[in-house]
Amino acid sequence: MRERFLTGYNDFVLPFVCGMLFVIVYCMVGLIRIIMQLPAADRKRFFISLVTPKTAIRNIKDIFLKCLIHVDLWKRNKLLGYMHSSIAFGWFMLILVGHIEVLLYTSDLGPKALYYPIFFRYFVAETETTMKGALIFFLMDFFLLVVLSGIALAIIKRVRSRLFGMRRTTNPSFLDLIGLYSLWSIFPLRLLAESFTADISGGSFLTKSLNYVFTEFLSNHANMLPAWWAYSCALGVFFFVLPFTRYMHIPTEILLIPLRNAGIRIVNARKGFARAQVYSCPSCGLCIDACPMGVLKGNIKDTTVYLNRQIRRKNESRIEEISDKCLLCGKCTAVCPVGVEGDKLRIAQRSVRHYNFGPDYSNIDISDQINGCNKFVKNTNSFVSSTGNERVLYFAGCMTALTPAISKATCSILDKAGTDYEIMDKDGGICCGRPMLMAGRLIQAAQLVEKNTGIILGSGADTLLLSCPICYRIFKEKYTLPGIRIVHHSEYFDELISSGRLRVTKGDVRYVFHDPCELGRGCGIYEQPRNVLSAAGEVVEAEKNRKESICCGGSLGSLTLGFDKRKAMTENALNNLTAASPDRIATACPLCMSTFARYSDRPVEDIAMILDTVTERPAARSAGVRPVKGKTDN
Amino acid sequence: MKENIVIIGGGIAGMETAAQLLDLGYKPIIIEKSDHLGGHVADWNRLFPDMSPAADVVRSLASRVSGANIFLNTEISFINKLKDSYNIMLSNGISIVTRIIVMATGFALFDASKKEEYGYGVYDQVMTNKDLEHWFNTGEDPRINDSAMNAVGFVHCVGSRDEKARNTQCSKVCCITAVKQAIELKQKFPDAMIYCFYMDLRMFGKKYEDFYIGAQRDYGIRFIRGRVSEVSENIDGRVIVKAEDTLSGKPVKATLDLLVLMSGMVCSQDSTKVANMARLPIDTDGFLKSRDNVMDIIESPKEGVFYAGACTGPKTVPETLAEARAAALKVHLFIKGLE
Repeated sequence: MRERFLTGYNDFVLPFVCGMLFVIVYCMVGLIRIIMQLPAADRKRFFISLVTPKTAIRNIKDIFLKCLIHVDLWKRNKLLGYMHSSIAFGWFMLILVGHIEVLLYTSDLGPKALYYPIFFRYFVAETETTMKGALIFFLMDFFLLVVLSGIALAIIKRVRSRLFGMRRTTNPSFLDLIGLYSLWSIFPLRLLAESFTADISGGSFLTKSLNYVFTEFLSNHANMLPAWWAYSCALGVFFFVLPFTRYMHIPTEILLIPLRNAGIRIVNARKGFARAQVYSCPSCGLCIDACPMGVLKGNIKDTTVYLNRQIRRKNESRIEEISDKCLLCGKCTAVCPVGVEGDKLRIAQRSVRHYNFGPDYSNIDISDQINGCNKFVKNTNSFVSSTGNERVLYFAGCMTALTPAISKATCSILDKAGTDYEIMDKDGGICCGRPMLMAGRLIQAAQLVEKNTGIILGSGADTLLLSCPICYRIFKEKYTLPGIRIVHHSEYFDELISSGRLRVTKGDVRYVFHDPCELGRGCGIYEQPRNVLSAAGEVVEAEKNRKESICCGGSLGSLTLGFDKRKAMTENALNNLTAASPDRIATACPLCMSTFARYSDRPVEDIAMILDTVTERPAARSAGVRPVKGKTDN
Repeated sequence: MKENIVIIGGGIAGMETAAQLLDLGYKPIIIEKSDHLGGHVADWNRLFPDMSPAADVVRSLASRVSGANIFLNTEISFINKLKDSYNIMLSNGISIVTRIIVMATGFALFDASKKEEYGYGVYDQVMTNKDLEHWFNTGEDPRINDSAMNAVGFVHCVGSRDEKARNTQCSKVCCITAVKQAIELKQKFPDAMIYCFYMDLRMFGKKYEDFYIGAQRDYGIRFIRGRVSEVSENIDGRVIVKAEDTLSGKPVKATLDLLVLMSGMVCSQDSTKVANMARLPIDTDGFLKSRDNVMDIIESPKEGVFYAGACTGPKTVPETLAEARAAALKVHLFIKGLE
């Protein structure tokens, strides 16, 4: 292959080479630091996952689909998806094809390998005709066009973000802007630089055509070198600012995906996995539109994207403010394209707060509680075997204690279904621990978990029934209750209906179901409450539902949000729910119910209350004799 | 005199205003949505602090306003602002053109079922202060069983001073009403234990403090400082109340035969509706906004529109009557100014 210069070197490659080496060193140091910061057990688990074929394949697949193709963004908005995948995938292909080209045609690379794949066209004196076929030349131009189309869309997005399905977007920091402009300029400059050399070292439909069309200017070789310098400088600037801008998400996400696939969780508030998440934030601002606090403009800077930015800046007072304000509804986590867990990140920040004193629950005496719900233990085997059914322990929880209509309806349904049950907290219970966990007071939460575990294991029950999703979530996530099934009342009622143990008469009331944060996004339960509702009446959907449901505003998650501020959020959530003009609003959380009831123009009920009103009391059902298998009616 | 004066609301505020205006020689028009005059006082049995019968107050006011034009069962359909007067369209088809409106639209009782944790509408043995007055008047209520009244509880501040219930204001009269009703119940059931759960007691009026001390000393009513946290029901239908006694710092639990919720005063929706028709502003507490909360409490920011009574905030009966008289005088001076 003929080269244009004997040395194969020109000074213009320096900005790029320095920038690239800087970024590589920076990322390697960062990578080692994050891995060293992981707890030893997590680190071991991470390394094992890297060599386990199943997770290794999953890692490669996820990195390809998420980092290059951006599948999540495609699902959200086609234009947004195309914009990101054209830049990411297009650029990746330019690099890949560039390397293939260099490896195919050049021997004895040496240090030239650092920059030849990027600036190949400048250094060769061959054209597409002499280099055996134009395919590679075509591919290079094609992917350059793809990237340029993405850049064009990115510029449009800056002005008209609504076209991309985003109402609001992040306010970029100064360095972000430098990174942004240098990124935007890289590819037009590359086009320009390669157009200059197209008549010497070949090109394809893009560069060659440009060279012909603007032949006066582009064939003047005196202009050539400045263009290549500019291209290299743009790359150099981009690489030098990258670690300090949002573009750090590009290398970090490649680490975050295998960490997540290895099942690693946030332990330290700032180090290890949390750090990987913070640096993976691309500042796209999808969480801004998602945040329920966004109805008040003043709260926009308290969204997850700004939390990540402040954590990177180590701005402690703002970190505290943002972490404490959040309702922990988890919607930012649900919509985040890279998987930053805004809620867990905030709980972690809260957990490192220093308190001068804290309550101690370790010496609460639970003997009264154990004696209060030991019906299953006392009645022993005769009773159990005669029914052949589950022994249900119902924990209403403190929120349901404040909404007694729910617990009353739940007990009534259990009676109608002939369930053998016992109420765990009829005489006052111990908090499930979730509020303490949300406040970041992990020790206190663990103490409460231990107390409740003692009561439940002592009760002889085999099913723990909960009507509050806040309790349900912590029971599912943090309790170890061997041999005991943990169910939310929506799941249990759904089973009662489908197994024919409840006789339900369907009415013609139109219900809309509000997905409580802790039940939907928190525990992934979306279908069962809808099944229960559709047995009672017609179900219509809210404008935003399921994973995208809007927090009622009553959440226990926020430590600082005032009542006046929450009102706007509740009203916004109500507007979302009533889009299809339902007659009644149904939910499956006592806190959502009482929050909505405060401002709603139509009745708000828990699914237990609704189901109880449409369920018949069985005429005469003997307590013990009930078919366990098979339905009693058609 | 040909000037029309429209008084919206036939409670004690509206009646007293009308009575004073009649004495001054005017012929006011009273518009009342229900089928009788007297408003909330007509539903009450006896009034603190001297246990004077509420019926006497209503009867004497009614006899004094017999000369007025009274429209019962009548609501306001709409109000049009003309150049310097208002055209008020009534639900019975009559329209009145007037330059003077007295808003005597009063208050509404807080809907106790909104405080679901107290179990009104959920548990059988829970009632409100109004329900209890109804029983005093008629002796009919399934919740009160003469033979089984051993323990009764009163919950103060239900829907008052409660941000979560969307009412931050104090309803003023419930503290003393609870003391009054507790004494009355004790008189009916001398053997019953009676508890009042309060956060603090505001005994601001004439003889209220004596009344409160008498309730403790002479009637043995137990006052427990602490808000009720939750109410539940046991198998025989009695209610179990849990609260914290903040003076002793201990949680208390009481099983009661009856729980009476002292529902507070909130601005009535009808009052807000009429205010919106007349384009009157609403204050931050949800009641109608006066021109000035110190100097001009009975004047609205609109020329010719006056306020009397609890439409501008919770008030006792004597306060309401005093305001009604002041409003009548304002109307009189306003008409004099027009001539």
